[in-house]
Amino acid sequence: MTAEPTDRSMVRVACDVGGTFTDVCVLNEASGKIHVAKTPTTPDPIDGVLKGIEAGGVALRDIILFSHGTTLATNALITRRFPPAIMVTTKGFRDVIEIRRGTRDDLWDTYKEMAAPYLPRRDRLVVTERIDYSGKVISEVNEAEARELARVIRKRKVNNVAICFVNSFVNPENEQRMRDILLEELPGVSISLSSDIMPEIFEHERFNTTVANTVLGPVAGQYGAELESRMQDGGYSGEVLLLHSGGGVMTAKGATKFAARLAASGIAAGAIASRFISELAGYKNSISLDMGGTSTDISLCSDGHLHVTNDWHVEYGYPIRFPSIEVLTIGAGGGSLAWRDKAGALRNGPQSAGSTPGPVCYNHGGTEPTNCDANVFLGRLGTKLAGGKVELDIKLAEGAINRVIAEPFGMDTEEAALSILKVANANMADAVRLVSLRKGYDPRDFALVAFGGAGALHGVALARDLYIPVVLIPPNPGVTSALGCLLVDITHDITQMYTDTVSDIDMTELNNAFRVLEEDGRDRLLSEDISPDRMLFQRYIDMRYLGQWRSMSIPVSADITNLDEAVKQFHEEHGREHNYSRPDAPVEVCRIQVKATGLNRKAELAKHELRKAPLPAPIGQRMVRFDEAPQRIKTPVYDRSTLHAGAVVEGPAIIDQLDSTIVVPPGIKAEVDEYLIIKMHVPQLS
Amino acid sequence: MALKKDRRTLDPVTFEVLKNAYVNIVDQMAEQILRTCYSFVIYSRDFSSALCDPKGDTIMQGSGDIAAHVGTLHLTAKAVIKKFGDDVHPGDVFVINDVYQGGTHFNDTRLFAPMFYKGELLGFAQANGHWADVGGAVPGSFNVNALDHMAEGLRITPVRVYSKGVYLSDVAELIAHNTRAPKDIIGDLQAQSEACRLAEREVQRLCDKYGVETIKKSFNEVQDYVEDMTRQRISELPDGTWETIDYIDVDPDEGEGLVPIKVKMTIDGDRVHYDLTGSHPKSVGSFLNCCYGGAFAAVVAGTKMQSPDIPMNSGFYRVVTVDAGPLGSVVNAEWPTPVAGFASGPFEKIMNAVFELWAEVLPERAMACTFNLDYLLIGGRDTRHEGKPYFMWYDWMVGGWGARNGRDGWAATGPVFGVQLGTQPFEGQERLSPVLTTCHELMVDSGGPGEFRGGLGVQKGGTLYACERTVVSYCCDRERSITWGLWGGLPSIPHGVWINQGQESERYLGSLFSGVPLQQGDTVQRPSAGGGGLGDPLKRDIESVLNDVIEGYVSIGRAKKDYGVVVHEVDADLNEYKLDEQATLAERARIASHRRDWLSEDAEKVAARYRARELDMFDLIRQYGVIVDWGSGELLPKTTAEFREMLKRRTVPYWTAGQSAGATLKVA
Repeated sequence: MTAEPTDRSMVRVACDVGGTFTDVCVLNEASGKIHVAKTPTTPDPIDGVLKGIEAGGVALRDIILFSHGTTLATNALITRRFPPAIMVTTKGFRDVIEIRRGTRDDLWDTYKEMAAPYLPRRDRLVVTERIDYSGKVISEVNEAEARELARVIRKRKVNNVAICFVNSFVNPENEQRMRDILLEELPGVSISLSSDIMPEIFEHERFNTTVANTVLGPVAGQYGAELESRMQDGGYSGEVLLLHSGGGVMTAKGATKFAARLAASGIAAGAIASRFISELAGYKNSISLDMGGTSTDISLCSDGHLHVTNDWHVEYGYPIRFPSIEVLTIGAGGGSLAWRDKAGALRNGPQSAGSTPGPVCYNHGGTEPTNCDANVFLGRLGTKLAGGKVELDIKLAEGAINRVIAEPFGMDTEEAALSILKVANANMADAVRLVSLRKGYDPRDFALVAFGGAGALHGVALARDLYIPVVLIPPNPGVTSALGCLLVDITHDITQMYTDTVSDIDMTELNNAFRVLEEDGRDRLLSEDISPDRMLFQRYIDMRYLGQWRSMSIPVSADITNLDEAVKQFHEEHGREHNYSRPDAPVEVCRIQVKATGLNRKAELAKHELRKAPLPAPIGQRMVRFDEAPQRIKTPVYDRSTLHAGAVVEGPAIIDQLDSTIVVPPGIKAEVDEYLIIKMHVPQLS
Repeated sequence: MALKKDRRTLDPVTFEVLKNAYVNIVDQMAEQILRTCYSFVIYSRDFSSALCDPKGDTIMQGSGDIAAHVGTLHLTAKAVIKKFGDDVHPGDVFVINDVYQGGTHFNDTRLFAPMFYKGELLGFAQANGHWADVGGAVPGSFNVNALDHMAEGLRITPVRVYSKGVYLSDVAELIAHNTRAPKDIIGDLQAQSEACRLAEREVQRLCDKYGVETIKKSFNEVQDYVEDMTRQRISELPDGTWETIDYIDVDPDEGEGLVPIKVKMTIDGDRVHYDLTGSHPKSVGSFLNCCYGGAFAAVVAGTKMQSPDIPMNSGFYRVVTVDAGPLGSVVNAEWPTPVAGFASGPFEKIMNAVFELWAEVLPERAMACTFNLDYLLIGGRDTRHEGKPYFMWYDWMVGGWGARNGRDGWAATGPVFGVQLGTQPFEGQERLSPVLTTCHELMVDSGGPGEFRGGLGVQKGGTLYACERTVVSYCCDRERSITWGLWGGLPSIPHGVWINQGQESERYLGSLFSGVPLQQGDTVQRPSAGGGGLGDPLKRDIESVLNDVIEGYVSIGRAKKDYGVVVHEVDADLNEYKLDEQATLAERARIASHRRDWLSEDAEKVAARYRARELDMFDLIRQYGVIVDWGSGELLPKTTAEFREMLKRRTVPYWTAGQSAGATLKVA
């Protein structure tokens, strides 16, 4: 994809490296204009980043801020490609991270394998030491054993060690002692403590987070340093900011210490961009639908807040407990396969044609029909994509739909293609229900932000199914995640266990505990050169009914004098999410957290004056079959780049752009707003 | 078999959308329960949910359910419907845990609510969860010494707890106050009721959208679909009858000797039938019995694992049928037989026997035996706190799964009873109870040897401190009927609890006991078994054995004894070991020429050598097939004879020089 020429002025650049493409988003500081570029991801992803920036028409010396989302950490974890590391743990507990919680995500398939732990048994060493539940030292670190371990580590020439001791979250003394001994014996070795990385109860979750973080440290550190140095060689003088799971960014230095936070980097970007787009369009509540070729990411933003979870993993059984934006990923995308099962049901996904062979119509050897093939057959998707670089073959798509769906079900091709998409849409709608209705949110109060390569093809149909009243399509749907990288502040999430019933809490103590966490946050931000006037701190208290196992996070303001308001809010949230509350039951605090934010200057999309000008002429027309009409309709095709702010396109229409196609069914109006976001109100069919 | 194409009346899109919507609804119920429950057992995913039609047949079950509940939810549904008939109204919720009306054990308590649409009864939602305590003589309601169900806990026959939306606190409290944790029980009861309500709202939404007639039709057609899919699958398989026997350790009423659980499977065209006739004809003198519901569930769960992609509902039961044999047997217990240990007892034996039978039909999915579900409970007064409150250290293990055809078994995984029943975080347990965890580690050499090795079991121990009036109870099995290997593979290790193992005061308590007093300072330790091996261990790839040694899964000593592979340490610091291929050839030849004889060696002499510590537990089980009381070393002659018979049937025939001579379980 090529970029439009840029004025010679300062820009901000965000770059999202995905499995297939590297997306670049450039914001011109002076004009507020955004433009985008897309290049293939390269074996050394830094090459692709630099090429992408070049394709964006930007000189490195003109960049004032560079932020970056990357799947680097996720891939390193999945492939287990990281430098050797050693885990030192309490004697008797060598296999905590291999035993996991013992569960599997597939209950019934005895031939499905589980992922192996991030460090194999041979790389896990033990030492005698013990701390009890209250923090009392029952057994000090056995010094002779500790020095013996140091000898072994030296002999193995390993430079990266995680120390994970039982109950260290209450008392880090033994972990620190172990670290000191290792540092004496092995100067220069990098050491992480579980009490430092994730000071929270539950051994497997803490150990595994620490181990994942430890093994990724050198990967992230090396990558960050190399990227920074290559960019600086080209004239960039700022810092490289990396997007993390919580939806903020870290400096390359921060990423070395909290590397596992990069393992949800790419996913968070889409959610952030979606929030940004919906707020610009005037909606505080939004559901984002980022639909790509093989999967769809769904997230929810209520009243301007993205939902955050501590319950996530890259591979099942290996939790990473750093806060992460809650994103549900389902195996449904443009390339999902339609098939008929043995009992005669019409299925869609989760298998996908992927990028090779890809959908049948790409003519790269695919034989099974996909959602993309159905869309192209129905005329919703044009036969020329990416400005004519890719040509799709309708005949091939038709043949596959006939063979696999139409003939076995006794339908004509058109009905078969419609059926394929209806099932695909219903599957996605079910997933949206899981993140919305399930948590007590009514989709009627939300806007649907549809993006990714395929989101805009399905947006209105999904909104109808879910009674969502409005669909928003960002200006560049295919590179919206990169836009997300542009919009973020530096954030750190700092947590501490704090267990007490609400009635027993000493407010002075609680406020002091919060202040300690804030100090920690201040230090982290200072080390990243954030000046105090750009710092923000938000406190949260995690609460639950005494006896319950899951908690909810309630935001509180600084130095509160009692918890009445927070408890009231807890009852309300519990009632909303779980349909009942127990106002008379005792409430317990289980954890406190502080989100420390270093504000970046906010990006803004350029605002355009709304004009009442005649619509530009369509660039073509074709016969399109919509769900809303009984046969194909002659449908004009517009070029999105020609649509001015204030333009209203009445359906039926197709709006094409480089990286996406927008379906505007009959009866729907697509309005282009002042930020060039396309807004479609979706009246419910009775 | 040709599909009846005319059977389905809904268009393919509507059908597929609704089918997926029902899975989604049940999963939403599960999420709701997981987030709001009080019982730690439920939180650890010992629960299941379902939608039922007006007759009580299941329309859909969840994707994360406990295997042991699958196949019983329609039975309890029918029990409630039978009791209340037309007296069912919008806003009602019922509760039942009756094992004699389809339940599994009393802890598994089902909340059951009608789903109405504009005054019309469409069906029911059911949420089943394992309550931490339902009363009875012992905390946790696992009373090994129960002579009848009155000593086990509260039997809840179908009863209403919400009437037309009004919460019947009198009834709910009567139930809750017959347990040891009334507040938690009320919390769970409400959480499960709300999950049922959620299902009703979702089904109402679907009625609004698709019309109530479509929804009613789909309830039937989703069951037809599962039936068709299952018939299709079965009809592709060869017809025939196969049978096998697995064993419970002992019937205390009859002295030592294994207790047979016999399973006969017949595939006939497009259906599969199981017959449990020939199993131990009376209930055993412990609570390791099961009623029809438990036996049916075991067959269904074992069969379902052969076809993991088929969704679960009552359509499956039209194809898979079970004759549990005469009433009163160990697998078809009658009132008032205690059955709280059904899962550790008959359930897992039936399920593993079903695996073995299917290994003949689908050898590409074969799996050897898996470790046995266990529950350990230490209860007493916690003197760390004022008022010395009660504590319950309620613990269960993950363990090793059977080796598979071409692959080793899974290590440290939840039981076949329900793989989502994971291990508990011991840092959490230590806060709640004065028990200091001493280890939680893989058990070296616990994987059953075979060409493919069984997965490793785990060992866990805890030392008591700051406590009074403390007792320990344990519910498990397979200390004698040891987790077996398949096709020439060897068994793993026995289950069983040790007090102060390796110390002067060492005591062995076995795998089934109740209320044994403990003192401060005592250490309670037990392993979970590994999985059985599959294939002749002398054929295991020597590099795989070497790798197991490097990883510390297999010791150098057992590599030689179990696999005939001789490994030398080069530099343990660097994980460097090397194979001695010459010595390995010789050792393998030596074992091959002696191993049959070892199985006929004088068992009494072998036991004596165990007592003299010349032989260890592994040697007895894997080389000599001798079973003793693992504490005293006293020979169990009848058990040993039966165990050796078992080895001669399951293992020895596959040791022939030629490939896959073996034996067959086929009888007709």
